[in-house]
Amino acid sequence: MEILTQVFTISLIAAILRTTAPILLVALGGAFTTKAGIFNIGLEGQMLMGAFFGVLGSMWTGSALGGLVFGVTASVLMAVIFSVFVVTLRANEVVVGLALNIMAGGLTISLTKAIFGVRGSIVNPAIVGMPRIHVPLIHDIRPLGQILSGYTPLVYTAFALVFLVWVILFRTRLGLYIRVTGEKPEAAQSLGIRTARMQHIASLICGVLAGAAGVHLSLGYIVMFAENMSSGRGFMAVAVLIFSGGDPVKVLLGCLLFGFADAASLRLQTMGVSSYLVLMVPFVVSVSALFLLSWRQRPKIIRETLQHLTAPVVAKGQGS
Amino acid sequence: MAADIAADFAIEMIGITKRFGPLTANRDVSFAVRKGEIHALVGENGAGKTTLMNVLFGMHLPDSGQIKVNGAQVEITSPQVAIGLGLGMVHQHFKLVPSLTVAENIFLGMEIVRGGLIDSASQVAAVRALSASSGLAVDPTRVVRDLSVGSEQRVEILKVLARGARIVILDEPTAVLTPQEGRDLFRTLRGFTDQGMTVILISHHLDEVLEVSDTVTVLRDGAVIGTEPAKGLTEARLAQMMVGRPVDFGRKRRDGTAGAPVLTLTRIHARDDRGLPALMDVSLTVHAGEIVAIAGVDGNGQTELAEVVAGLRGPSYGRMNLNGRDIAGAPADIVRGAGLAHVPADRLVRGVDVQASIMSNILMGRQDSSAFSKGGMIRWGRVRAEAAALIKRFDIRTQGPDASVKSLSGGNMQKVVLAREFSQGKQFLLIDQPTRGVDIGATEGIHDEIMRRRAEGVAILLISVQLDECMKLADRLLVMFQGCLVAELDPKTVTVNEIGLHMMGASHNRKASA
Ligand SMILES: Nc1ncnc2c1ncn2[C@@H]1O[C@H](COP(=O)(O)OP(=O)(O)OP(=O)(O)O)[C@@H](O)[C@H]1O
Ligand SMILES: [Mg+2]
Repeated sequence: MEILTQVFTISLIAAILRTTAPILLVALGGAFTTKAGIFNIGLEGQMLMGAFFGVLGSMWTGSALGGLVFGVTASVLMAVIFSVFVVTLRANEVVVGLALNIMAGGLTISLTKAIFGVRGSIVNPAIVGMPRIHVPLIHDIRPLGQILSGYTPLVYTAFALVFLVWVILFRTRLGLYIRVTGEKPEAAQSLGIRTARMQHIASLICGVLAGAAGVHLSLGYIVMFAENMSSGRGFMAVAVLIFSGGDPVKVLLGCLLFGFADAASLRLQTMGVSSYLVLMVPFVVSVSALFLLSWRQRPKIIRETLQHLTAPVVAKGQGS
Repeated sequence: MAADIAADFAIEMIGITKRFGPLTANRDVSFAVRKGEIHALVGENGAGKTTLMNVLFGMHLPDSGQIKVNGAQVEITSPQVAIGLGLGMVHQHFKLVPSLTVAENIFLGMEIVRGGLIDSASQVAAVRALSASSGLAVDPTRVVRDLSVGSEQRVEILKVLARGARIVILDEPTAVLTPQEGRDLFRTLRGFTDQGMTVILISHHLDEVLEVSDTVTVLRDGAVIGTEPAKGLTEARLAQMMVGRPVDFGRKRRDGTAGAPVLTLTRIHARDDRGLPALMDVSLTVHAGEIVAIAGVDGNGQTELAEVVAGLRGPSYGRMNLNGRDIAGAPADIVRGAGLAHVPADRLVRGVDVQASIMSNILMGRQDSSAFSKGGMIRWGRVRAEAAALIKRFDIRTQGPDASVKSLSGGNMQKVVLAREFSQGKQFLLIDQPTRGVDIGATEGIHDEIMRRRAEGVAILLISVQLDECMKLADRLLVMFQGCLVAELDPKTVTVNEIGLHMMGASHNRKASA
C-alpha cells in the first residue's frame, strides 16, 4: 500500500516534467517576444507547424534530428511572416497572430489530406521518435532514476533553457537591448539601438523554441501527428507570459502549474472521468490562477482609525 | 580677422531654416557659440528652441543652412554623428529606462562586455569615477525607477559625459528641479566650462539665465532677435525681446474678499503607492474667490494631496467636502461632478492624449454634456468651434484644432490642458504646477487667467514648486513638509528665505522636539 502511493506520486512527478516541457519551451520562446514588447498570440500556430513538419521531416530523413530541423524551420518561417507584418509593416499583432494560428490549423489539415490521403491523424511506422536518454549511474537508483532519467533530449533542454534564457536576457547585451526595446523604445532609439532589429531577433528565437516545442509533441512521447495537436498549449504559454512578464523563473513556475494540470487530466482520464470534463482542467486551472494572481495584486485599501493615527505621532515626538 | 574669430567657436549654425509642413519652426537662424562659454537660448513657447537644438543634434535635418563644429563644416545626419563630434544632449523629456540601474542606463548602447556577458562591476566602477570627477552625485547601483527627478537628471548628464561630450546641450534642465537642485546644477555646469567644455542652455527662468550664462540668444517666431552678453542685460529687457512688449513681474493686484468655504479637508491621512504614510493630518479650507498655495520641495506629499483631492487616491482617514458634498474616497467623475476642475502636474501622464487632436483633448471629460453631444453622437462642429475659440483665447501656437497634441511644443501642450480645465465654469480649481515649461509671456497670461477665475469667485488650490509663483498669486501660503502642513504664511509679508526654512522642515523639527 505504502509502496503503491510512493510509485504513484513518483510517476506523477515524472509525468508533470514530461508535460511541462513543451509548454515551457514555447513559453521561454515567448519570453523573448514579451520582453521585446510584442504580444505574441501566434505561439499556438508556430507550435502546430513544428509538430506537423517534425513528423514529415522525421519520415523523409529517417531520423528524429531531421524531424527537429524540419519542424523548427517551419515554425521559424511562421515567425518571420509574423515579425515582417508586425514589426516592419506595423500590423496589429493580435490580428496577425490569430490569422497565422488559423492558417496553421488549416494548412496542417490540408497537407495531411494531400500527402497522406487521410483525415485526422498521421500514424506511420516510418516516423522516428526522439530517443530516451538514460543518465548513467542515476538511472538505476530507484526513485531518483525515475524522476531524473529516461526523458527525451528536449525535456532536458527545456529545463536547462530556463537558466540559459535568464542569462541571455539579464546578463548579455542582446538581452539588455531586447528588454529596453520593450520597455522604453524611444530611449533605445536615441542611443542608436535598432529596436526593429531587436524585435525581429526576438521573434526568430521565439520561432525556434516554439518549433522545438511542437516537435516534442509529435516525436516525443506520442509518435504521431494529430489534427490540432497543440490543443491550446500555445495559449497557455501566452497566459503564463502575461502574468510572468517574461521572467524565466516565473515562466517555469507557471508552466509547472499547467504541466501539473495536464498530467492530472491524463490521470483522471485513465480513472474513467468523462474526457470532455478532463480536457477542461488545464483551462480551469489557468483561469483560476490568473484570477488569484490579480486578486492578490489588487490595490489594498488602508483605513485608519484615530488610535492608529495618534500612536506613531506621539512616538515620533519623543524620539527626536 | 574673421578666420581667427571663427576658430574660437565651438558651434556655428548659419542660415538654418526648418519647416514642418506649412509651419516654419526656424527661419534663417544664425547661432554661434564660443568655446568654453555657457550660452543661453531663450524664447517663447514654440519659438523654435528645441527644434534648433534637434537640428544641431541630428534629430531633424534642416531644409537649408550649414553647421560648423569647432570650425569644420559638418553634415549631422543622426544623433550618432553628433555624438561622434563631441556633442551631447539632455532632452526636455528624459529618456531613461526605469527598470535598469543607473550604471546600466549610463552605459546603454556602449556596454562593457567581457566573455559575452556584461561586466556590471566595471560599469559601476566607471560611473563612480565619472561621478566623482564631474561632481554629479549618484549611486550607480540604484534602479532609476526609485530616483527623484533631480537624480534622474544627473544620470542624463552623466550619460552625455560618458560618451565623451565636450559640448553639452540642456533643454529646460531646471523646469523640474527645486531651487536648491537648480543651484547645484549651475555649479556643475560652471565646472564644465572651467574644464574647457561648452554648454548650451535652454531655460524659461530669466533670472537664472542672467545669473549663469555668458551670452544670451533670443528667438522669436523661429527667428533670431539678437545675441548679447548676459552682463548688462536685465530681466525686463530680455522679456521684452522675447515677447515683443513689456512684461509685468509684480505681485498681482487683487480685490474682493473671500466668500464661503468651497473645499474643506479635515484631518486627511493617505498612503503612497507602497503603502507608506504620505499625508498626515492635513486640514485645510479653500474659500470662494481665494487662492491657497501649497509650497514645498517636490516629493513631500504634494502629489498625493493632489490625487486625494482629485478623487484619484482614496484617503486612509479623514473627511473631505466639496460644495457641501462628501467626496472622501469618491472617484474622479463624482468629484468633477461636485465642481472640480484639475490641471495635473505631469501633462504627458494625466493631462493630454498626445496622439489625439487638440479638439478631442478639449472635449475630453465633457463628451456627455448636452453642449457637445446629442442622442449619443458627438457634435464635432461645436467641439471644433469651442477648440478654435480656446486656441485663440489661450494663444496656443498651432496649425489648428485638428493638429495632434504631439506636434505642439511643451509649453503649448500645457496650454491645451489649461484651456480645457479653465473653460468649464467649475467652482473649484485644483492647479498643480501650472507653468512648468511655460515661457514668461505665457506664464503671465496663465497667471492673469488664474486671477480672473479668482475674481469670478472660483476657489483655487495651487500647488507649485516655484516660490515666486506662489508668492505672486496666493492669498494664503501653506508649506508642506514630509506629508504635513507645517506653516501658514502671509505672502504679502513673508520672505523667500523664511519660506525656504519651512520647506526644509525647520519649524517641523522645532515643534516635534518641543
Ligand atoms: N515634429 C513636429 N511636427 C510638426 N510641428 C512641430 C514638430 N516639432 C515642433 N513643431 C512646431 O514647431 C514650433 C517650434 O517648436 P519647438 O518645440 O522648437 O518650440 P520651443 O521653443 O522648444 O518651445 P517650448 O518652450 O514650449 O518647448 C512649434 O510651433 C511646434 O508646434
Ligand atoms: Mg522646447
